[in-house]
Amino acid sequence: MDIVFSAATMHYAGRVALHPLSLSLCERRIGVVGLNGSGKTTMARMINGLVKPTDGRVTVDGLDTITDEDAARGKTGLIFQNPQHQMILPVLADDIAFGLKNRGLDKVEIESRTQAILERFGIAHLARRRVHELSGGESQLGAIASVLVTGPELLILDEPTNQLDLKNRAMIERTLAALPEQVLVITHDLPLLDGFDRVLVFHEGRLAADERPQTAISAYKRIASC
Amino acid sequence: MLNGLDIEGDSLLHRLPVRLKLALLFAAAILLFLTSDLRFLLPALSLALVLLLSTGLGPREAFRRVRFVLFTVLLVALANFLFVSAAEGAAVFCRLAALVLLAAAVTATTGISAFMDEITRLLLPFERLGLVRAADVSLAVGLVIRFVPEILARYGEIAAAHKARGLPVRPLTLLIPLIILTLKDADTIAMAIDARGFRRH
Repeated sequence: MDIVFSAATMHYAGRVALHPLSLSLCERRIGVVGLNGSGKTTMARMINGLVKPTDGRVTVDGLDTITDEDAARGKTGLIFQNPQHQMILPVLADDIAFGLKNRGLDKVEIESRTQAILERFGIAHLARRRVHELSGGESQLGAIASVLVTGPELLILDEPTNQLDLKNRAMIERTLAALPEQVLVITHDLPLLDGFDRVLVFHEGRLAADERPQTAISAYKRIASC
Repeated sequence: MLNGLDIEGDSLLHRLPVRLKLALLFAAAILLFLTSDLRFLLPALSLALVLLLSTGLGPREAFRRVRFVLFTVLLVALANFLFVSAAEGAAVFCRLAALVLLAAAVTATTGISAFMDEITRLLLPFERLGLVRAADVSLAVGLVIRFVPEILARYGEIAAAHKARGLPVRPLTLLIPLIILTLKDADTIAMAIDARGFRRH
């Protein structure tokens, strides 16, 4: 699926959060790195239509994120930095079903798709667990399941291994590697980007590098050491 | 299995439709307030207890769930006992305790999702009149149940942080950071609700 930024710009609180950005993304695995406040999250949220460009436009599979907001959003799923923030309902299975209900599916379809996604991620035993009782790794898997259950073509993850221990980090890494969907990951966890097709480096609201992982990470390290 | 507020099971209350359970609870509340006769209220309290235990909750878990409300009921009953009469105190206790147990039985046998669906259905006539958005109200109920434990946990963390810094732990000084952090999270949660397609444009 093609995501196209056409001079997309974001002004926020009197400053430029993202300078005019023009690029096209169609790779299966895309990484985004940069220092804090460099514009990474703004750029990712523009794809999902949560942040609207103040100038320029963003299209997802040809759909404008402003004029075709719902259709464009339906093609993407966004996992927030803290997965607990995006779990809306108290029980995991209900929370996973939430996105399907919003799409007006019937009860049988909702139950079958919820069960299928729980099994796909090996968390069927957590179905009736209260979400605030889930561990970090379980929360992250639950959040990914709750987004993928609606069938987005692109999954955007904002620092998915943040606050995870080594075991859970490895588990999320394996999960991401096995996803058939297109994936865009914002991360400070550089080894996670091994094998990615393309890595974007943001610095002070601008795209500073757009390369294969090793070259992009070197560029990022140079920026970070300044 | 006990994981949420509701428990899995196949009791009579589990099988009843949500709407009927809510209607029966409403009717029971009215009946309990129509009389102060202990010959009616005592059996009602016993029946409520039997119903709660029939849901599959063990006595210990059942007591854990209702203990704070029952303590308040006890205080109200005690006030009536001291300032009105012993009979009125007993009647108040039986009446309110029976209601608490019945409500706990409905909660234990009704999933939050089913409860939200019912709220949405009940409010649809008001939505047609343009008074409310039914789905918004039921989502608000779900959010309260979802995030109350988070807010309590955060209160505990702020209190621990105060202790770690050698600051006195006073509810008022904890409340301000708690409100600020909760409001900050609320923005992200609102965004997450949008991201998950709750509001269609």
